[in-house]
Amino acid sequence: MLVRTVREEGMTMAEPGNRLIFFWGRECPHCAKLHPIVNEANAELSKGEGQGITELEVWHSEENAKLMRTYGDVLKKACGGSLGVPALYNERTKKALCGMNTTKEQILKLAKE
Amino acid sequence: MAVKKLWRCNVCNDIHYGIKGPTICPTCGAKNAFTLIDYPESKKVIIDRGDRLDQVDQLLEVWKKFAEGKPFKLNPDLEFVKTLARGELENQKNHGLKYCPCRITTGDLEEDLNLICPCNFFIQPVYKETGECWCGLFVKRE
Repeated sequence: MLVRTVREEGMTMAEPGNRLIFFWGRECPHCAKLHPIVNEANAELSKGEGQGITELEVWHSEENAKLMRTYGDVLKKACGGSLGVPALYNERTKKALCGMNTTKEQILKLAKE
Repeated sequence: MAVKKLWRCNVCNDIHYGIKGPTICPTCGAKNAFTLIDYPESKKVIIDRGDRLDQVDQLLEVWKKFAEGKPFKLNPDLEFVKTLARGELENQKNHGLKYCPCRITTGDLEEDLNLICPCNFFIQPVYKETGECWCGLFVKRE
């Protein structure tokens, strides 16, 4: 699994089923643009014993793509009808954000709901 | 939805994939010349002359041509467009088709055919709302 969980010192590693996942594609320019914002949000979420954001690349890892597809119903709605990247999915609340216009505030809200 | 089938022009061997054959052959102009054929015949009729669209610059040319005379144009940000082209070529190499790098396949081929670039973005809500296709490759003309 191509996975990169950005961790700050002292942060708690989120368990599968309880993660905020950032699905992205290596050749997706919108993903590249959103990455710094996700990193900023991750830094805030990771403070203390907070849980960070789990990053999963989906075009070069079939395992990650399969996981993304299991959340397809919610993600498709968020992505305008088809599965798309960049997308964030909260496994606990089953809520999602999708697209390059996602803001840090939206990500933080998605994480804390 | 009606099932698409294969049709061959009996004058010039043009191949068409659709619900019915064209009334006028777009290649030779023959009228009512299309007859129903099967998949193995279509594969034998189409001669692979080695042409491939597997270079970034080739894709850029194809996309420019595609947008000519249409209410949308290629995104003027060349580096952005080249990144998308590289992504599509990577997807072609790894997944068999030029899927949009800002989408992800479902595993259902019929559904995934909608993700081949250029897709039918101009009838989708995202384009109507934002003036861009999902990946930003094509943008509405001002």
